[in-house]
Amino acid sequence: MTLRLRDLQACFEGVIPSIIATASQDGIPNISYLSHVALVDDDHVALSDQFFSKTAANIRANNNAAVMLVDPRDGNQYRLSVIFEGALDSGALFETMAAELRASSAQLGMADVMRLRGVHLYRVASVEAVASPGAAIATSLPAANLHLGAAAMLAARISEASEIDAIVDAVLDGLRDNFGYANTMLLVKYPTGERLVTIGSRGYSWTGIGSEVAIGEATIGVAAAERRAVRISDMSRIRRFGAAIRASAADENHTRTIALPGIQDAMSQMALPMIAGGTLRGVLFLESAERLAFPKDVETALSIVASNAAAALALADNTSGNEQSLVTSQGNGALAGRPFSVVHHLFDDSVFIDGEYLIKGVSGRLLVHLLGLHLREGRADFTNREMRLSDELRLPDFKDNLETRLLLLRRRLEEKAAPIRLRRTGRGKLRLEMAGPALLESR
Amino acid sequence: MAGPDRNPIDAALAGFLESPVMIIVGSCDDGLLPQIARAAGAIVDRAKGGVDLVVSGWQWPQTIANVRRNGRLAVTFARPADYVSYQVKGRAAVIPASAAHRQCAQRYIAAMTETFVGLGLDRAVAASWLIDLEPQVLRLAIEMIFVQTPGEKAGRLLESSS
Repeated sequence: MTLRLRDLQACFEGVIPSIIATASQDGIPNISYLSHVALVDDDHVALSDQFFSKTAANIRANNNAAVMLVDPRDGNQYRLSVIFEGALDSGALFETMAAELRASSAQLGMADVMRLRGVHLYRVASVEAVASPGAAIATSLPAANLHLGAAAMLAARISEASEIDAIVDAVLDGLRDNFGYANTMLLVKYPTGERLVTIGSRGYSWTGIGSEVAIGEATIGVAAAERRAVRISDMSRIRRFGAAIRASAADENHTRTIALPGIQDAMSQMALPMIAGGTLRGVLFLESAERLAFPKDVETALSIVASNAAAALALADNTSGNEQSLVTSQGNGALAGRPFSVVHHLFDDSVFIDGEYLIKGVSGRLLVHLLGLHLREGRADFTNREMRLSDELRLPDFKDNLETRLLLLRRRLEEKAAPIRLRRTGRGKLRLEMAGPALLESR
Repeated sequence: MAGPDRNPIDAALAGFLESPVMIIVGSCDDGLLPQIARAAGAIVDRAKGGVDLVVSGWQWPQTIANVRRNGRLAVTFARPADYVSYQVKGRAAVIPASAAHRQCAQRYIAAMTETFVGLGLDRAVAASWLIDLEPQVLRLAIEMIFVQTPGEKAGRLLESSS
């Protein structure tokens, strides 16, 4: 059977190092490991040019080389006879490989050290399996159709949802139900911000709602900065950024930062940019304790889902507040329960309820605004529309993201079991529910 | 890494080459087409400045044929846990495997398998890379040693006897 490069997808995941052998013009061989071999098409592979000066010198004098690839699933080895065609230092292929290198180096804290100098393009003259006693050569069938079907089901689920929280739930539940990925997060980016904020997650011991990732930081931040999918198939040597991951509630009160959720033994990660209308709306993040949990064909299928989710979220955010709705004031028994304190720190709009950190920034300002109206006017029901028109909120970039900010606030209040809750009472309407009288103080 | 005894292979390097490190072997034919193979164990002869590499003649016949024809050989030794690597180059001859060579290969395969298991790899996955079927020995006279650990020093000449 003739092997095609596309049959060897798993060999290109970078789990088991590949090998390259070259020879100088006077017949002196050279052999070294390669950090990264990329599949270009059925006739070409690309190698990153980072360190290999002898290899680079040899292939310019004698353009024949041998490459050995290893399938990380079964250890099978494949021998490629390749011919050097040229070096690239720009273009789509170069940019993709450079982004992948930046992503993995960012994980190691070496983003400034590891820079892709160039990409070497090779034509593949032959592909052969290396014989191994007792080993059957795997010829796995591409599962692309399966993934495409699952992506279609998930996209349909997202299309059925019209509210922000239903869309987020459809995405995360669909990744679990249709793809079997249990540890996932959805983060959104606000137009003026340089950070992504978690608004939904599945499969972690805490939800991390409200936790933030800087653009450019680690897998999620690099996917956002580069606006391209980032996959890591074997994290065993990658130190996680996450000393902060296990932060306790006490730390949260101190740092006013919510810890990003994570699984300690993650081996694979994938971050997919969510782009709609040419704008980055957020990042969809998946991780797994398995090696190779996110092969290329899954990335392809889920890229469609990420775009679909971005469009749905953008649409929901832009239409939710356009409907007229009336303020309907109702008593909510707030005076009956135990009093609680709400402290608003003006310098960063952080809000603490009974000494427990809740949230900061725009979402914090929103809560204080609603609470202030409640205390001044005695009403508990509000509309998105009036918030958009409010001068007091003074939010320049507010318009496009009110819904996600409210969702964040609502879910964070639930997670902290706070004595204040925000309930949706209809499209563009919400109600402040309180378990007792609030003592609001601004500092 | 060269020691005070001025031997091109100092004791520390010899210890490294004989330890559970992956051994990859580069050769080329008369048409300058390179070949890749793996060795299953090494025995260093410090006095002669050489190293014997056990290679499966069954799995890597082309490499054996290349060395028989022109003797040119490059071998990289790399430790999986931290990527510390050295490349040695020189002229080699193919000789039959002795009982000592066969025992070396068996010990190497056992130790290397445990190393991979310790790094979280499946025993069965590593098995294809650790083959000593129909062993042959490439007796290499080392002419050059290079530091190959990824980074700034990669490719630097460690020691030259020529």
